[in-house]
Amino acid sequence: MTSSITSSWPKLTSRQEFEFLADLVMSHSTGDHTFFSLRDSHGGTTRFANNQIIQNVNLRRGHLSVTVAFGRQHGTASTTDFTAGAVREALKQAESLARLSPDDPEYLPPVGAQSYLSLPTSRPETTAAGPARRLDYAREAIGQCKMENLNAAGTVSSSTTTVGLAAETGLRAYEERTEGRFSLTVQAGDATGWSAAAHRSIDRLHVQERTLAAIIKAKRGADEPQELPPGRYTVILEPAAVAGLLSWMIWMLDAKSFYKGTSPFSGKLGSRIIDRRLSLVNQPAHADLLGNGFTHEGLPVIESGWIESGVLTQLLHDRYTAREHQIEPLTTLESPHLSGERPIGTRVDDLIRTTQRGILVTNFWYIRPVNPSDLTLTGMTRDGTFLIENGEITSAVRNFRFHESPLRAFNQVETYTAPAEAVTSETGKALVPAMRIHDFHFSSVTKF
Amino acid sequence: MSGSQWDELAELALSRVSSAGVEYADIRLLDTTTRTISGEDRRIAHIRDSTDRGFGIRVLHRGAWGFAASSIISLEEIPRVADLAVEIAKGSASLAISKVHLAPEPVHRDRIVTPCRLDPFAVPLEEQTALLLSTMDIIQRHPGVVRSHASLWAQRDRKLFVSTEGSHLEFDLLAMQGDCTATAVHNGRFASRSFNTPHLRTGYELVRDADWAREGARIAEQAVEKVRAPAIDAGRYDLVLDPEHLSLTMHESCGHPSELDRALGYEANYAGTSFLTPDKRGTYRYGSADVNLVADNTEPGTLAATGYDDDGVSCQKWDIVREGIFVGYCTNREVAPRIKEERSRGSNRADSWGSVPMVRIANIGLEAGTSTLDDLLADVKRGIYIEGHGSYSIDQRRYNFQFGGDAFWLIENGRRTHMVRDVIYHGITPEFWGRCDGVADATHRRRYGFITCGKGQPGQSGWMTHAASHARFRRVDVISGHTKADA
Repeated sequence: MTSSITSSWPKLTSRQEFEFLADLVMSHSTGDHTFFSLRDSHGGTTRFANNQIIQNVNLRRGHLSVTVAFGRQHGTASTTDFTAGAVREALKQAESLARLSPDDPEYLPPVGAQSYLSLPTSRPETTAAGPARRLDYAREAIGQCKMENLNAAGTVSSSTTTVGLAAETGLRAYEERTEGRFSLTVQAGDATGWSAAAHRSIDRLHVQERTLAAIIKAKRGADEPQELPPGRYTVILEPAAVAGLLSWMIWMLDAKSFYKGTSPFSGKLGSRIIDRRLSLVNQPAHADLLGNGFTHEGLPVIESGWIESGVLTQLLHDRYTAREHQIEPLTTLESPHLSGERPIGTRVDDLIRTTQRGILVTNFWYIRPVNPSDLTLTGMTRDGTFLIENGEITSAVRNFRFHESPLRAFNQVETYTAPAEAVTSETGKALVPAMRIHDFHFSSVTKF
Repeated sequence: MSGSQWDELAELALSRVSSAGVEYADIRLLDTTTRTISGEDRRIAHIRDSTDRGFGIRVLHRGAWGFAASSIISLEEIPRVADLAVEIAKGSASLAISKVHLAPEPVHRDRIVTPCRLDPFAVPLEEQTALLLSTMDIIQRHPGVVRSHASLWAQRDRKLFVSTEGSHLEFDLLAMQGDCTATAVHNGRFASRSFNTPHLRTGYELVRDADWAREGARIAEQAVEKVRAPAIDAGRYDLVLDPEHLSLTMHESCGHPSELDRALGYEANYAGTSFLTPDKRGTYRYGSADVNLVADNTEPGTLAATGYDDDGVSCQKWDIVREGIFVGYCTNREVAPRIKEERSRGSNRADSWGSVPMVRIANIGLEAGTSTLDDLLADVKRGIYIEGHGSYSIDQRRYNFQFGGDAFWLIENGRRTHMVRDVIYHGITPEFWGRCDGVADATHRRRYGFITCGKGQPGQSGWMTHAASHARFRRVDVISGHTKADA
């Protein structure tokens, strides 16, 4: 593929162009308050299955949104068209919606000028990467699998996005964000192995190593898996599986629900909710997480503690709820870092070696809440589920369905590793340990 | 932008890629308008109009696909994106093992318009917000209810599809939906109950025809009853499932496994594969003889009934399961030939101009039987009647599933007696459908639309409608949907 394709990509909206559009909106708005946001992105995904490309796409998408308020009446209009006429049209539509809307007692004006952390959210090598680079990575993964006579299915993607926010209050925020992603499922007959990565830098996806990891998993599972009965087992959850459970805890941290009594955490703020050795922080500046400098409302994203030594210390407070309770709003936990005191080591093998009998879980799939009152979740094990006996993997086992609350499971932690990168198809990216947990509840078994 | 301008842009795109020697290409230009009005706790939280315009060019070159898309609709952008699509296809071809051969399809020139009595975008906004506010007020006036939600959603898609084969299809499609929810608390627990006017291709009449005041009062009362209801004891129960509940059961356990691209491994890295492999077609017992699952993308008002799919294939009706035997797949022009079918079933859809179309679940429904709901209940000694959607999860080959619901009633000696809570049932798909021994008649049939069916990488939202009458399933495993130390 020629390099001219990459160099001919259109330039994304620059800070100056964003300022021009923001000024256009502010100068024409008749509202008491006006909030303007813009996202402009290009990128693509190369998708493969059965060792060949099945989908290869490139997308340029712009999106801008205007919210206008008259008093407590507000309305929002958005468009993908960045021409001046379309922007003015969106503004007029937002004004029209706002004038017809009823008073919103929870409406707050946009935030004013803010200071933001300067985060390394953009990497030039990712911006420069185009279809050719993605194809190279796909070729690498497919080539390794073909050499082993295995079947590869996966994706390589890269994207660059510029994000800008402005309001008549003086708010101005602008950031460029890049992201590279790789995920791979290796099929060895009925068995599968999986690995995934995401990073601001496309150079940091480690495609070769991650492909090898997925191959090893698939080959380990290639023998006929044992069917074990459902029940309570000691499990070793790899970081992706831990992240799957943790994500649902994070998504349920909404303070408004907490105060209304419709949260699994109601009555638990300030109480110990998980093992006392574990702590959770938001670390937007961590080089291996995907932190942003500001939220979609323009609030600064800051490092913050959420669980300290097992105690819940923070909730997700939207601006209105925060004001009601006279605290600072904290609306995102997008760069979670869960860690424990005195980890046993850095690798999953360190947990396997010290396990008498247990189940190794590579990943969970289709996790959904069963009972939001106690945060009971269900989901399936996927892409590498193994029996461990006397410190070694002895066989593959058929996949289990779990029926368990992380609020219970994370209180039954025996030991854990140091945090490692975890990326799954259903969650974002987190740094979390692999964990050994006793009495984890598997409620049924599937056919493979 | 006028229709003739779109035609010019389409011609420019297709002539550009044709001159590069592609075997096939199409362009889709879309102008999508969406209105969302959402309320919570007696306030209107958001009113949002969005306009989403752009185009996507898909080319098949040397037997491999390339796709490029942009939200900049201009004479300068079209050739750039067209060239990019061709270059990407060349890259795909460099790793091709087997070439893509499209199933033939007649050339179509047509215009499809959703019939509607009331354009949702012309209905006064004040009427819509007043409806939501009054509904939330009714819900929250009920003692024990602490939270309410209510929302309305409408979307119009104006689309032009043009292919190098000569098909030229214009679309003006509408879809509409509304819903409300009541949440009650009791003794440290909380529970919700919902009502919706389901997603359908219709106008605002869908919302006007519903009695929101009555439904709001009903769900408020039932939310309180639900949160106070006794927990179910685990065990085997006969289940009678209502059409809304069944729409999700069918979607997950029949719809997805009948997507041929999944069965061929295309989704192995994400949504998964399928236990319904091609060797099973025509012989595999999927369910009891009472189970007839029919795909119908021709039924007016349903979400997948768009006249033509995004391959330009006309919508069709066909069997997925006939008298319990698996007989058919959802296909597109790419995968249909891989199972030696001469024509695509017309189930290839993209969720926007920026997405590449893929096989999506059709409007799969459970064919009506001959019973009444009372007949189904009458023959149950101890069972559970389930309405609506709740928790759901299924493995990546669609064998092992688990479902909750929105509301549950105990059936004792042929009668619904009282509500119970925390009901979860699980099973293996063909065993579960094998336990179906009765389906209610067509007078009980209801349709429910889905617009958030996730599949693909990057993820896309599929749209389809699932219709059913009530059905009965014998001796299904039920567990309690909460976490117990000794569970």
